[in-house]
Amino acid sequence: MDWHRAALPLLILSLLESGAQSSPELDHFERKVRPLLVEHCYACHSAENKIKGGLRLDHRAGWETGGDSGPALTPGSPDSSRLLRAVSYDDRDLKMPPKQKLAPEQIETLRQWIANGAPDPRTDAPLAKSKTQAQTADTLWSFQPLAQPTPETRSPAVQNTTWPRDPVDHHLLAALEKNNLHPVNDAPPETLLRRLHLDLTGLPPTPHDLTTSATDSIRNPQSAIRNRIDSLLSSPAFAERWAQHWLDITRFAESSGGGRTLPFKDAWRFRDYIIESLHTDTPLNQIITEHIAGDLLTSNDSTQRRRQLTATAFLALGPTNYEEQDKGLLRMDIIDEQLETIGRSFMGLTIGCARCHDHKFDPISTRDYYALAGILRSTQTLRNYTDNVAHWVDTPLPLDPALEPEMRVKETQLATLNTQLKTITAQVKKLQPSADTLPPDKPIAPNKLPGIVLDDSQAKLVGPWVQSTSFPNYVGAGYIHDAKTSKGDCTATFTPTIPKAGRYEVRVAFTASPTRDEKVPIQILHADGEEDLTIDQSTTPPIDSRFVSLGTYRFEKDGAGFILVSNAGTTGYVTLDAVWLLDEATLATEEKSRTARSNPQLATALAEQKRLQKEIKTLEKTGPNRPETMSVLDDASPADCPIHIRGNIRNLGPTVPRGFIQAAKIPNTPAIPANQSGRRQFAEWITHPQNPLTARVLVNRVWMHLFGEGLVRSVDNFGATGDTPTHPLLLDHLAHDFIADGWSLKKLVRRLVLTRAYQLASLPANTTDWQTNQTTDPDNKLLWRAHRRRLDAHALRDSILTLSGTLDQTFLGPNVQATSVDPNSGASQNLEYDYVFTDTRRSLYAPAFRNKRLDFFEAFDFADINGPIGQRTRSTIAPQALYFLNHPFIIEQSTAAARRLLADKTLTTPDARITHLWLATLGRPPNPTEHQTALTFLIPSSSSPTTPQELHTHLIQTLLATADFRFLD
Amino acid sequence: MQTRRHLLQTTACGFGSLALNALASQSSPISHLPSPIFPHHQPRAKRVIFLFMAGGVSHIDSFDYKPKLIQNDGVAFTFDDARTVAKTGKRASMRVMKPLWEFKQRGQSGLWASDLFPHMAAMADDLCLVKGMHTEGVAHGPATLFLHTGTTNFIRPSMGAWINYGLGTENENLPGFVSISPSLSNGGPRNYGTAFLPSRYQGTPLGRAGQPAKEAAIKNLQNPSLSASAKARQFDLLRDLHSEQLQRVQVTTQHQEVEAVIQSYELAWRLQSNAPHTLDIDTESPATKKLYGIDEQPTDNFGRQCLMARRLAESGVRFIQVNYTDNSNNPAWDQHSNMPKHKDHALAVDKPIAGLLQDLKQRGLLEDTLVWWGGEFGRTPYAQGNGTGRDHNPGGFCQWLAGAGVKPGFSFGETDDFGHHAIADKVHMHDMHATILHLLGLDHEKLTYPHAGRNFRLTDVHGHVVKDLLA
Repeated sequence: MDWHRAALPLLILSLLESGAQSSPELDHFERKVRPLLVEHCYACHSAENKIKGGLRLDHRAGWETGGDSGPALTPGSPDSSRLLRAVSYDDRDLKMPPKQKLAPEQIETLRQWIANGAPDPRTDAPLAKSKTQAQTADTLWSFQPLAQPTPETRSPAVQNTTWPRDPVDHHLLAALEKNNLHPVNDAPPETLLRRLHLDLTGLPPTPHDLTTSATDSIRNPQSAIRNRIDSLLSSPAFAERWAQHWLDITRFAESSGGGRTLPFKDAWRFRDYIIESLHTDTPLNQIITEHIAGDLLTSNDSTQRRRQLTATAFLALGPTNYEEQDKGLLRMDIIDEQLETIGRSFMGLTIGCARCHDHKFDPISTRDYYALAGILRSTQTLRNYTDNVAHWVDTPLPLDPALEPEMRVKETQLATLNTQLKTITAQVKKLQPSADTLPPDKPIAPNKLPGIVLDDSQAKLVGPWVQSTSFPNYVGAGYIHDAKTSKGDCTATFTPTIPKAGRYEVRVAFTASPTRDEKVPIQILHADGEEDLTIDQSTTPPIDSRFVSLGTYRFEKDGAGFILVSNAGTTGYVTLDAVWLLDEATLATEEKSRTARSNPQLATALAEQKRLQKEIKTLEKTGPNRPETMSVLDDASPADCPIHIRGNIRNLGPTVPRGFIQAAKIPNTPAIPANQSGRRQFAEWITHPQNPLTARVLVNRVWMHLFGEGLVRSVDNFGATGDTPTHPLLLDHLAHDFIADGWSLKKLVRRLVLTRAYQLASLPANTTDWQTNQTTDPDNKLLWRAHRRRLDAHALRDSILTLSGTLDQTFLGPNVQATSVDPNSGASQNLEYDYVFTDTRRSLYAPAFRNKRLDFFEAFDFADINGPIGQRTRSTIAPQALYFLNHPFIIEQSTAAARRLLADKTLTTPDARITHLWLATLGRPPNPTEHQTALTFLIPSSSSPTTPQELHTHLIQTLLATADFRFLD
Repeated sequence: MQTRRHLLQTTACGFGSLALNALASQSSPISHLPSPIFPHHQPRAKRVIFLFMAGGVSHIDSFDYKPKLIQNDGVAFTFDDARTVAKTGKRASMRVMKPLWEFKQRGQSGLWASDLFPHMAAMADDLCLVKGMHTEGVAHGPATLFLHTGTTNFIRPSMGAWINYGLGTENENLPGFVSISPSLSNGGPRNYGTAFLPSRYQGTPLGRAGQPAKEAAIKNLQNPSLSASAKARQFDLLRDLHSEQLQRVQVTTQHQEVEAVIQSYELAWRLQSNAPHTLDIDTESPATKKLYGIDEQPTDNFGRQCLMARRLAESGVRFIQVNYTDNSNNPAWDQHSNMPKHKDHALAVDKPIAGLLQDLKQRGLLEDTLVWWGGEFGRTPYAQGNGTGRDHNPGGFCQWLAGAGVKPGFSFGETDDFGHHAIADKVHMHDMHATILHLLGLDHEKLTYPHAGRNFRLTDVHGHVVKDLLA
């Protein structure tokens, strides 16, 4: 066979060469095949146009080699040729030409051509358009090892030796001097203080902070600043502020968003984990390791174990479309999202590009992608791959040792009670048929039953149903059955008219007999989706020997809900009598009366059942509870992943051993044991001190938060299309020192804010210096001044809450708690859709729904939390202005702030109040003109509100609306 | 002080003559901000009104006439049922269900349309039916996101945002992209979001699904607690404070950023006075209201939405989406069990839509306005679970275009004999996107934005302009 395939082209070749010009096969090709290919295929498969899927049909070698999926055809065997499969439109994933199926005779032409050995005289390949060449690891700066500091490079020589305070300053000043630039003056004390407070804690300094610091700094400016920095770094507010930065890059959210949004009930634990980790200055490499492989690490105690498990929520927090029906695709989409997030957030790489083809610009191959995908494919992110609406993995968490015994006792008790409940429920079920309370063996009129009753006569019937009254215990005038024939042909649809939206128990009546089918399919379409179940009609139904409950579902008033009974897939008789819907109130009354009517044995059993249910509920509420976290698990059978050609899940190429990006080499790359997913090794590789990307990316992110722009301005993209560092050696040395300092965020932040460069002014005191600098380096790439920056949504909102005194400083803990995560319960979505944001906690605790955002976030560039955010966008748009002018939140907060201001006994004069207001909002005193403007405004006029409260409210609202409130000097 | 304020106002007016695009300054984290995009070629349409029929209208009960369904009503055949295939990879035996409304040929063009939409059918000579539509996504969420953003699962900008980015607004006093009564479900805000495009291109929602159209308004447009004079006094104060703040940054590049903030307030001020007027349909004549079925049931609500759309189109909004939807997971047209219920929805939208077309036509607006009608997918020619409803069908369905640049009274594309899968002159949703962009003067392959290291576009690496549809 192999010989045959290999030899055929040769055979044809020789055939062609030996005067094949006149062969009928070739003639066929020229007359029929070539025009067909030109007309229908070349648009997408020729060098002249496009080369989709890597396949060229414009010369012979094109189809011989084939595209990404291999050779396009096997000469001589049309039926095993991909080309013919594509044009015949039989394969649902491969239909060509995509727009319109070829005519039957055209398909026949191709079949004949292939059957004839596919003679093709087109030996020369037309020239393809030149393609962009990806950078190699040898040329891309970010893949080079970190430059090791030497005594000369650590602190580059500078002329102005009195200026620098830290080697960082040496690097910056050296570059400035080289360009004949000079750093501007230091920032005034109050400017620096506002900058430090907002950068480190996301909260503004109080007027008191500002006035005392002014006096302190006169005495000993540097020690005053150092003390201030240390106290800010150790405050919980620091952890909260920097946790938000981390939550941004980990695309933290509390719901899945997208299609059918589901609440992530335990996501808040991940947020708390981040805040606590940063508060205790947990090394960032450890945090990343825990994110990717927490569940696989060893732990010393339950606290650590909880942390580790909670950390893995990182992998599960994506905007997953759990509703996707193709679960194979869903699985690969989740992996793609995880890889993209890991790559972008921790390594500044766009790994996702390699899902369908080798990365066009960076040294990441499709092979690398599927080596990594194999690791995550060996990781379980979903509970299973069969649920109609999928679900993430919930993992129970260990408790503190002190609580664990009590918890275990409770769990044992609960287990016992649940076993008892199960027994009694079985007993109830067994007793109930005999407790026939409705007249046995007698028909009952539908109107004798409470609630909504639909008799079989009211169903829409399809197929040859037969009327019957043979078994007399029916509802209405009889029942119907399928006569055990026409299997798959009969359906009956009940469409109840729902008088009031709400939850209804659905019951269906049938007459039981051993000849009846045991698996009669029933479909219920309710307000939250559809439910497919089967009922056993061979045994007597439990409720009054007539009805079986199908469960409780939500129905909309006059909605589209229905109950559909079918005989598809059945073998025995299928019968149908009535459908009965009971709302909760009716159900309770009905249950009561029925119990009373029933026999004492059943009554006792029912009472016991109720007692147990109650006891379980009470017990569940008392004592400790076992928390759960979103997490991932290692798959039971880890496996390497095949390359998905062009990203298609049904077009698989060779399998790639699990591994990492080849180009980012580290010494002794960890080997992945066959029986493990490889996540632990993945984490090890990312956080390895010699991974060229991770430390650089992290240091650059911190720099960006403190200086306004990164040393690499494209903070999420360290690839060939991103920016190169403005100060490469500085970046490398910072990364080096950061690793040497144990990946400590606090040490890095402390070092950077103590530099002279950080403490520069952003606005000019002396304009001459300024002009020269501005002309030479208008973008301030060399940092001759501090960047004037924008406050992000969180800092803005928290500043407003601070001013009004309404900030709720509760540290850690949930803010919204989902009670239902059931995709079929409207409660899951309604929690989000109906949510009204009212709390005044710091903004990082605001419920992080993906489909419903806090108005403030929507207006101020925090609308979309579906992907990692390295740097917030900074827009200036009219909706922001409208928000400050008209939104009730601003008006309420301004009112509260005015009340607070006027109640402050230390502020006795209008002048004092105005100065106080300026300090509290803009972090500086007003200039004389501003002072005068405010004073004038506060004088009641005939055409405006007259009370001081109103006037101050309006003044405060206006101050908040000004540009300077949004900027950080 | 008076002089300074005066100066500022003059500056504001100077700026005011520029487009909103230029007003809304943005310092992007991307170092190479793309230069403003202009039409790549002569546009045929200046704006789009998209009438979104959420849940999936049945094409075989409305515009795709299939006699074979009538002949074989109730007979079982084996189909590639999209849902069964997605879940199991297998085919399923399904019972054919005939259309519930009678089909007739209409107008001069002789286009087929059923009695489901009698008013639209009467406008057949203005419609350009696209009957070979196919798309991605079997469930509502993925398919709705695909319709709006060109992807079922990735986070991408919505079509309106792309258009807003490509063309900007025609009216500096109004947003360039408006979505009337959008749903929170099935993608929610992602359907009018910007993803990685700058936020100024985001769709402005007017009201939301479930809220009466009477109450639909732009957020935060009014502050009822202030009198007009108090408002003016406060705004004067803001201008005074801003002029001082502008002085502080006078010699620096920061000047521009502060001015951008100032301009955003000037624009907001104008929006406050203009937008309510644009949305106020009370000024319309009784005859116009009647045309849209306003003040009568069951057309009042959707009629108001359509009339607002016309007023927005007239005022120069680029992309106006009118949503017929709700907030449920199984929205509006999703008749899995009860096909006759399609009629209730049809009664609510048919007259308003036909009214909108007529109104646009009589005002000459249809010449440069493209109207686009359709759902995220069609419905199956067979009964779901062999019952009395139809399931989702992304493999073949019908949408229509009307107005600027498309052939009127024209039908393009075919589904198979059952109306299940598109087989001839197929138009993928990517192709529809490409074609609409083309009509607006935009080349879908050139309308790109750099993000995460590469250029992105609405149609990913797909899409062809369907030239056959162009007039």
